[in-house]
Amino acid sequence: MAAVRFAFPLAGGLHARPASLLRDACRPFAAAVVFRNLRSGKRADAASVLELVASDTVRNDPCLLEASGPQEREAMAALRAFVERDLPGADDETPPAGSAAGASWLPPVFVAGGGSLLRGRPLAPGVGRGRVRRLAGRASFPKRFASGRRDAAQELESFRRAAAEVEAALAGSAARAAGPVAAIFKAQQAIAADPAFAGRVAGLIAKGRLSAGAAIGQAAGHYAGKLRRSSSAYLRERADDVYDIAAQLAEKLYGAVSRPAAPASGPFVVAASSLSASELPALQRRGLRGLILGDVGATAHVAILARSLSIPAVSVDPGALARIVAGAEALVDGRRGLAVIAPGAALKRYYRLEQASAAEIRRRRSAWRRLPGRTRDKKRIEIAANVGRPEELATAWAAGAQGIGLFRSEFLFLGRREPPGEEEQFAAYTRATRSAGGRPVIVRTLDVGGDKPLPYLKLAPEANPFLGRRAVRFYAGHAGLVRCQLRAMLRAAGRGRLKIMVPMVTAPGEVRLVRGLLKEAAAELRSRRVPHARSVELGIMVETPAAALAVDSLAREADFFSVGSNDLLQYVMAVDRGNPALAGLYDPLHPAFLRLLAGAARQARRARRWLGLCGEMAGSAELLPLLVGMGFDELSMAPGLIPGTKERLARLDAAACRRLLGRALRCGEAAAVRALLRQFAAADDGSARRQVTAAGLVRLGSPSRSAAEAIRELCAMLELDGRVGDALALEEAAWRREESYATDLGLGFALPHAKSPAVREAAVAFLRPSRPFRWAAGSRTPVRGVLLIAVPEGGGEEHLRLIAGLSRRLVHEEFRRALLSARTVAAALAALRSGLGSG
Amino acid sequence: MKIVAVTACPTGIAHTYMAAEQLEKTARRLGHGIRVETQGSMGIENKLAAAEIRAADAVIFAADIAVQDGERFAGKKIVEVGVQEAIKRPEAVFARLGG
Repeated sequence: MAAVRFAFPLAGGLHARPASLLRDACRPFAAAVVFRNLRSGKRADAASVLELVASDTVRNDPCLLEASGPQEREAMAALRAFVERDLPGADDETPPAGSAAGASWLPPVFVAGGGSLLRGRPLAPGVGRGRVRRLAGRASFPKRFASGRRDAAQELESFRRAAAEVEAALAGSAARAAGPVAAIFKAQQAIAADPAFAGRVAGLIAKGRLSAGAAIGQAAGHYAGKLRRSSSAYLRERADDVYDIAAQLAEKLYGAVSRPAAPASGPFVVAASSLSASELPALQRRGLRGLILGDVGATAHVAILARSLSIPAVSVDPGALARIVAGAEALVDGRRGLAVIAPGAALKRYYRLEQASAAEIRRRRSAWRRLPGRTRDKKRIEIAANVGRPEELATAWAAGAQGIGLFRSEFLFLGRREPPGEEEQFAAYTRATRSAGGRPVIVRTLDVGGDKPLPYLKLAPEANPFLGRRAVRFYAGHAGLVRCQLRAMLRAAGRGRLKIMVPMVTAPGEVRLVRGLLKEAAAELRSRRVPHARSVELGIMVETPAAALAVDSLAREADFFSVGSNDLLQYVMAVDRGNPALAGLYDPLHPAFLRLLAGAARQARRARRWLGLCGEMAGSAELLPLLVGMGFDELSMAPGLIPGTKERLARLDAAACRRLLGRALRCGEAAAVRALLRQFAAADDGSARRQVTAAGLVRLGSPSRSAAEAIRELCAMLELDGRVGDALALEEAAWRREESYATDLGLGFALPHAKSPAVREAAVAFLRPSRPFRWAAGSRTPVRGVLLIAVPEGGGEEHLRLIAGLSRRLVHEEFRRALLSARTVAAALAALRSGLGSG
Repeated sequence: MKIVAVTACPTGIAHTYMAAEQLEKTARRLGHGIRVETQGSMGIENKLAAAEIRAADAVIFAADIAVQDGERFAGKKIVEVGVQEAIKRPEAVFARLGG
């Protein structure tokens, strides 16, 4: 027997996605694999996703995988590689960070605005309104025999057929969906196809003499019960998935047994203690606008799916939930994490205005997707996506990728007994270039080694596979396989923009080898008269220190370079990044790593070679200024990070970044670099030089008619102008300040102000309502102008001085009159700036 | 009359400076001499020297929080008001200074 021991790396625990990946990793080998959790003492057959999930495995649990059988050695080598390379990236979408708790303080309009307020936790952002529909109860599991007769064999047969149909339906849904939604369907598919679940149902039917329905119900109860007792909140939420599948099976067997469908009667909001993810799409088609759920967490599949389908959702106290009356009007605010039943006119108006702002912000954000990546001083840097499977392409383009900086080809090769043929590969690469519509796609040639033994690759097991015969190092011995891949790439390059990238290069000879194979591949295609590209760019991954230090000599052979930052850092620091005990050493800010990276970039520039970076660091907000300073042509990252990176990039000044890099390279240790970066981000990422106010921060003829509306509108203006990250947090801070006493000056002016960490740079926003209004209940003079001052925590002295000056000017009537009588935004802005003394 | 004043408010972003400006403006109009120390977001500015305090005929605190180093004013007659009052009704504040 062979075994591998490891600490479980995922924050979400061993849930369905990593479990099904583990099962797939075991599949190609003739070996029985058992998973043991040494903390909980539970064991699971690695062929059963449900048993794996039910092993109650949470982060850092000591775990053991044991294989026995004819191919136990091969299986173990593959599993070791899986644990080191694939498992750490196998988490689902992580729950939304930051405002997980929702708003802690609300503007008074929520109290005075009518309706009954239910405070809860946000599950999916957005605001939705509709009549309450109550969904109660779960699917039932009939005792009567699905086959109509008390015949165990026939009952079993009915169950098997239903399971196969449900699995096929889910597989179809998974194939049509993308991203996190596809992952949900895949996870559910794994449960539907689970051998342990099926075995338990079969046993209950055969030995327990139960109907298929009753057996499904009992088996679901068994596994859901195990999950509910899990130490991980995430895994407890997976219990709903088991019931979800069970309900779908029962429905297949008996017809509609789940909850009655809501008839179409206009927009509605569902109030239910819990909901199956699979019920959502149908409900949305019938007019679902929001969800008020009971004890449901942000990582429950129903919550993930609600986010994907843009259905606002909150979870509230089950007691409060029970009191919601069906048919009442309800408003769900998934951003603040609350629901209002029977909202009053003032609150509805407040939300209408807020939604208009949100739509405007969305419109601007989506503009980032279309814009190319570039710095404030107009230096262009391509922002591209890393893709490991064809399903991810659509997500990458939707996120605004300007290219695919790394298209991993391993998905074609793993988990099968024969290598993929030329046609299959050609189809996959063409699918990628076609979806790219002219944008470049960099495909990486096969990157496996002794750690990921493929049955058709004769690689001997090695003591240290990461320093062994991997990637380009086995190409000479498997020339046929490599030429086949190169032929498919050449053909695809004839139809779209495809570039070839070779992993694990250390010396020019290796590039020459691949170039030779590429020539042979082209000759083979010519002799077969198959259309293909005459020339294709051939580049290399810079992921070994040897390559990083010899970019100049490699540049004689390679057309372009892309740094594989994860592996490079691992090799530089001699640290296995999967090893939690050494996590502190795996630090990209270590000056040795930065110097190596900067040196490689300098050599590439001198050799006039295009240089990219594809690794987790490409999307790091912290590192971005340094990467800009190094002069990368492209940064390739997980699709979700693209819009934010473009936005951050636009605020950076490339020249300032180069100066910053110079200072960072002189630092002696990572902590010093980190301090430098923090200082740079706080004070001088170039953005601080912007003026305190701008045309986008002045609005005349505003629709706001109350302090709540005006403060909300000003916060939204600041968010839109990029001055605050989270407008809600700023709004909250302004109201906290307002609570100590109203900032109405009694001079027709209100001056709300706030200090908040949500503020990126100090700013002043001004609005004039189209109709003057009373600021607070007791105020006498209606307010005709509102000035909101937003200051960051520990903000710069310079800005505070400008704002102090502005405050002083407000005491003078001439200045107030200038602000109130300006006819145009430009005139008001000029008046405001004269008050700030910034011309 | 020679007046010294201190202004201070919780966030120190705006009202501290508005009150200072309003006191200075009103004093000028009423023909008084005034020096105002601000205790705001930029710390203590225009700090009053011991000699200035000693020479002052009257002291105004326009503050919603405790004035820092208040012991400097020991023995002086101090008119204490909120920042809002100094901004909205400065004449009333000066009227309380008496002769």
